Amino acid sequence: MKYLTLCTLMLCLSGPAIADEFSEEDSTRWMEQFELVATEGRRLWISPEIGTNGVACAQCHPNAANTHPETYPKFQKQLGRVAQLWEMINWCIRNPLEGKDLAADDPRMIAMQAYAHKERRGVELDPGKH
Amino acid sequence: MNKSLIAMSIAVGNLILATPILAEGPLGLPGLPVPTDNPQTPEKIALGSRLFNDVRFSATGDVSCATCHVAEKAFTDSPLSVSEGIRKLTGTRNAPTVVNAAFNKTQFWDGRSPDLEDQALHPFVNPVEMALPNHDALLAIVRGDPAYVQSFSGVFGVSAAAITMKEVTRAIAAFERTQISGDSPFDRWYFAGEQDAISAQAKRGFTTFLGNGRCVSCHAIEQDFAVFTDHLFHNIGIGINNIQDKVPELARAFQIAKNAGLDVDVAVLSDADTSHLGRFAVDDQFSSMGSFKTSTLRNIDVTAPYMHDGSLKTLREVVEHYNNGGVTKPEDPVNPFLSGGIRPLNLTEQEIDDLVAFMEALTSPQFQSLKAQSVAAAGVSGDTQ
Amino acid sequence: MKNIAVSNRRDFLRTTMSGVIAGMLPVSLVRLSYGKEGGPDFTFAYISDSHIQQVKGNQFVRNWDRGLIRAVAEANLLEPKPDFVVFGGDLAQLGSKPELDHGAEMLAKLNYKTFMVMGEHDYYLDLGEYWSKLYGKHYYSWNHKGVHFITLNSILTYDDWTFDRWESDERRMNEMAGLDNPNGSPFMIGAKQMEWLRKDLAKISKDTPIVVFSHSPLQKIYKGWNFWTEEADDIQAMLKPFDKVNVIYGHVHQIQYNQIGNIAFTSVMSTAWPWPYPESYALAESHLPILTVPMNRADPFNERDATGWQFMSMHTGRVDLEFNLYNNSNRTIAFNTAKGHPEDTTFTDPENRIPAQQHF
Repeated sequence: MKYLTLCTLMLCLSGPAIADEFSEEDSTRWMEQFELVATEGRRLWISPEIGTNGVACAQCHPNAANTHPETYPKFQKQLGRVAQLWEMINWCIRNPLEGKDLAADDPRMIAMQAYAHKERRGVELDPGKH
Repeated sequence: MNKSLIAMSIAVGNLILATPILAEGPLGLPGLPVPTDNPQTPEKIALGSRLFNDVRFSATGDVSCATCHVAEKAFTDSPLSVSEGIRKLTGTRNAPTVVNAAFNKTQFWDGRSPDLEDQALHPFVNPVEMALPNHDALLAIVRGDPAYVQSFSGVFGVSAAAITMKEVTRAIAAFERTQISGDSPFDRWYFAGEQDAISAQAKRGFTTFLGNGRCVSCHAIEQDFAVFTDHLFHNIGIGINNIQDKVPELARAFQIAKNAGLDVDVAVLSDADTSHLGRFAVDDQFSSMGSFKTSTLRNIDVTAPYMHDGSLKTLREVVEHYNNGGVTKPEDPVNPFLSGGIRPLNLTEQEIDDLVAFMEALTSPQFQSLKAQSVAAAGVSGDTQ
Repeated sequence: MKNIAVSNRRDFLRTTMSGVIAGMLPVSLVRLSYGKEGGPDFTFAYISDSHIQQVKGNQFVRNWDRGLIRAVAEANLLEPKPDFVVFGGDLAQLGSKPELDHGAEMLAKLNYKTFMVMGEHDYYLDLGEYWSKLYGKHYYSWNHKGVHFITLNSILTYDDWTFDRWESDERRMNEMAGLDNPNGSPFMIGAKQMEWLRKDLAKISKDTPIVVFSHSPLQKIYKGWNFWTEEADDIQAMLKPFDKVNVIYGHVHQIQYNQIGNIAFTSVMSTAWPWPYPESYALAESHLPILTVPMNRADPFNERDATGWQFMSMHTGRVDLEFNLYNNSNRTIAFNTAKGHPEDTTFTDPENRIPAQQHF
């Protein structure tokens, strides 16, 4: 037992970590993957494909303005309860865009949320703010 | 848990119990708004009840508030479409329930009264309701009645000669504030977590209510209570649809008359077309044309018929009207002043039935027995319009 | 019973009382004196940015249709009648013949003479060719009751963007249609109109009141959303010698007003949908006129919220206007002669603001 522990310790001191760190390369790559998804979110944001009547999110929310992602979850009058951003996005898809709900983990929903959040970066979190 | 922790919990528990517990209101309702200048007392409430039921306060001596707001009918005159005053004179509007009216931010279909106290003033002197020549006629009766004099003295500290409509309406309002009801099957399911309180169909109806039905935005519910109204005024295409071509002329004539001193309360109850102008008659704004107050949905199943003119007889008809996008018959033209919240819904037959089932789950226990009576009566009566 | 003490009687009275104060008089009775002697010289209505959008065939986006229908129906209720109506541009969404025809049909229900202003959504499909068939000139001027009116086509842009950049007309229209499109191009009136404007203004005495109708703001507010006119400074300089100038502009779909020197600027709203204030785009710098009391934040459930049309009155050369909002209290912007600029007659004082105005 003692011998194994000593060996593991020596391995830890000798080179790149094996257990639970990630490298700069990893984090750069992962952030780029986010950017890809957010870019797809932008494409969906201006596209008529989300709804059925040709209206796009960007028509009322240019650069995702006035979506206030930093305030969710919050009481949403149109849903009658405290709700999350994706639920309100679905409300917009169903109502002004006359389309159908997307699942919370639908890649399109994730992409649009990524875009909306990205356009709002730097703004302080303020959940519940109405 | 060790011994000292248990001891602490008991001590804290005792502390909580030692604090006087305020009586809980009915499940699903917010705190009752009571004006600071008209607090509730049992004596005031009793006095209000007597005034509410007193038929002497009418030109013919046989009409009281209770004539159109019948306690046994959830304070409506269901199944009448529009109410009947003295000599069965008909007005133009359906009697709203008094139940939960205390939570409304304005009173009357067009919100022309800011509160229950003010609302009580008007029917006494309206020609198609109690038709008294003025309030003095009422006060003469009150001041000449020893029982009333004694009550008013005890409640308000006023002598007979000093009794005014202010005291009268405050007492009536206090009584009306006791007519509140919650604790419906929906409340027990949604706020108290009783899984079997409502049927699976009603639960589906609630999902539609929040979703495809688009009902919740006006018939508001909140995180821990539901009054089912946003207190705002909306044109949903009732009444105004029938007078679309006449609106410019009617609106103009009404504005001119109003400027010359027309009494709005009298005007809207004496002519159906004028009645359909809705909130516009009160606030003169084009954006209010044909708009009426969102009514509560509590006990809606037993307060048929529906809408300001009682023109829709069943809940299903109501849902169909909304489903059609603000017209009763799908081929009717939509009126240009339609509220932006109203649009065709494309609900399935199942969704419509589910919505009705949901609304049926909003009846408070004390009114459950009315359902059967109300349905039977609606089938038999001829409607007055 | 848990009771809540309320005292709402006073609030109600305040609301109904203000109904008879100058700021919120019933529009239909047109007693918009705004405390000025003699009342208005004349009045006109302004409807703008209807963005009629075709879905396919005979089917158009219902929401935008209803907005224009409503504005027209309400404008027709005005009593006494306004002298004329102006349509502020962007009748169509993608400038197609079906959209322009459908919009024209709805506008034709107005019971008044109508003057038209070009918007970019009307222009960039066929460069205004069909528009001219329906409505005639793209820019023009006229005189009315002592006031000189000028309508500009202020949504033009650089020639290479207009003629050389895109492979098809449809592509060009789609690119211009995106408000936040980084491929967009700034608005301008162009050299030809600048010259025309110079000559037009040369004929007018300096004390003649002038009203300019324009789709773009003739100011530089936020370039990212084309709340912008390239020659703003030059145009303002041309208008500088005149005593009283009013500029009314569309495009922004929100309430804005400003005073730059001798010029009072006021935006008009859209009948279709509102736009957020540029300030609400956290990543960009913008210059919203500081005088503006913002419009209420919209409730998207109500499709007509934060949309509306305008009722304008002219008095001694100044334009005062009432924003007729379907879902909120109307907003009255009147020229305050003491302060020398337009202001909201109800909400300018911070004490009178309501939460929905501070939150966009």
